[in-house]
Amino acid sequence: MGQLTLENLSKSYGLNHVLQDITLSVKEGEFVSIVGPSGSGKSTIFQLIGGLYTPDSGTISLDGSVLNNSRGYISYMPQSPALFPWRTVLQNVELSAEIAGTKQDRTKTLELIKSAGLSGYEDAYPNELSGGMKQRVSFIRSLNAPQSIICLDEPFSALDEFTRLEMQQWLLSIWETYKKSILFITHDIDEALFLSDRIIVLSDKPAVVKKEITVPFDRPRSEELLLSDPFLTLKREIYNLLRS
Amino acid sequence: MKSAVNKGWRPLLVFILLLVMWEGAARLFDVPAWLLPLPTQIAEEAFTGYSLYVSHIMSTITLSATGYLVGITVGIVVAILLFRIPFLQQAFYPLLILSQNIPVIVLAPLLVIWFGFGMLPKVIVIVLVCFFPVTIAALDGFRQTDRDMLYYLKMIGASNRQIFWKLQWPHSLPSLFSGLKIAATYSVMGAVISEWLGANKGIGVYMTLASSSFKTDRVFVAIVLIMILSLTYFGIILAVEKSVLRWRSQGGKESDGSTHS
Repeated sequence: MGQLTLENLSKSYGLNHVLQDITLSVKEGEFVSIVGPSGSGKSTIFQLIGGLYTPDSGTISLDGSVLNNSRGYISYMPQSPALFPWRTVLQNVELSAEIAGTKQDRTKTLELIKSAGLSGYEDAYPNELSGGMKQRVSFIRSLNAPQSIICLDEPFSALDEFTRLEMQQWLLSIWETYKKSILFITHDIDEALFLSDRIIVLSDKPAVVKKEITVPFDRPRSEELLLSDPFLTLKREIYNLLRS
Repeated sequence: MKSAVNKGWRPLLVFILLLVMWEGAARLFDVPAWLLPLPTQIAEEAFTGYSLYVSHIMSTITLSATGYLVGITVGIVVAILLFRIPFLQQAFYPLLILSQNIPVIVLAPLLVIWFGFGMLPKVIVIVLVCFFPVTIAALDGFRQTDRDMLYYLKMIGASNRQIFWKLQWPHSLPSLFSGLKIAATYSVMGAVISEWLGANKGIGVYMTLASSSFKTDRVFVAIVLIMILSLTYFGIILAVEKSVLRWRSQGGKESDGSTHS
């Protein structure tokens, strides 16, 4: 299970009208990206889904039950890795399940660490890892949670170009094995096109859904896709949507 | 070990130089021993008069260690209560500061009047000087929690209790340990002050007896003993800190305490 639906979501902070009638859905096992200009309230959508704030109107539901202002139903990967420096890699990965109160499955956790290419680093502390490694730990931490949907908030924006591409390919390969529903925020059009099944394009504030684009490319996807003609055509379309 | 020697020789040299100047000046101006004894005389007294103070040391150690343990427990519990219950913080924080404005020297005789000459008033004095730095350091540590980690925990639905024990508490440990180190040296001072007021054993008693009979060399022996005791406590806490905060020294980069402040 893991079908997330947002219906007619609106939110303003005082006079600052951030979201206007946002409707979108993530189907089970689907990878959906939200792109929008910076400051368009993308993170606000996550804060509402995470239950940190209540929407002014509209509903958020997961598998049919309404989630408005309730916490603990999603897994999350923040922009900065936010690893706990006093916990080892293994303990960090276990944190999400610990908070959710589910039983730890040590074999599964070790398998996840292995799939992140971090075997041998189980007992290392975060300050011994590189930026890319930290982000991988942060992602498998969100995968290790029992929740069926993961929200990723511009997770690769702080990485350099090469590491980012590497991380995107890695993310796809591991997601294809675990098949969780993903809602992904980014301001990078390439990244959204390369990773997602569908892309939601947001406007400037107050954010409305400008267009929903289904990405037609087959999986597994490879790097060459980034320079193919259909890819560039779609990229141009999204770019123009964001500019107008 | 080698780095300790490399770093340690500078302060040691200054210390030895000071002693040599003291010895030289006192000899040159022929200062009487009851006014200012020579360092060599103090050292001699420390060796020959060993049997005079050894039992006093044990008494002071027991007193200060008891007071310290009670004091830091009170300090940590107060910090947690004030932090977790904002109402208590608003109500009691000013009182906490005020409690530190009463000089211990004034308070101690009152405690003797109320509680007699036993262990209790002395332990209270030490607790009063020890808990404050611990409370303040712990509170600071709790408040300076990393925002990204806090946001992450909130997003995945952690309860306030989980946020405290999984994030705020471990995050405050480096800060808490600086409070514990300050309190450790205060505890010896508190013990000596409380012994002045009426005790039959302790470094404070030894010191009072020595100064009232103008045995100035013994006063200095007492000072040296207090310093050694304070340093020992400091060293013990430092060792505990190193083993508890192992994650800080692991790996190539030493993460310094200023990263999240």
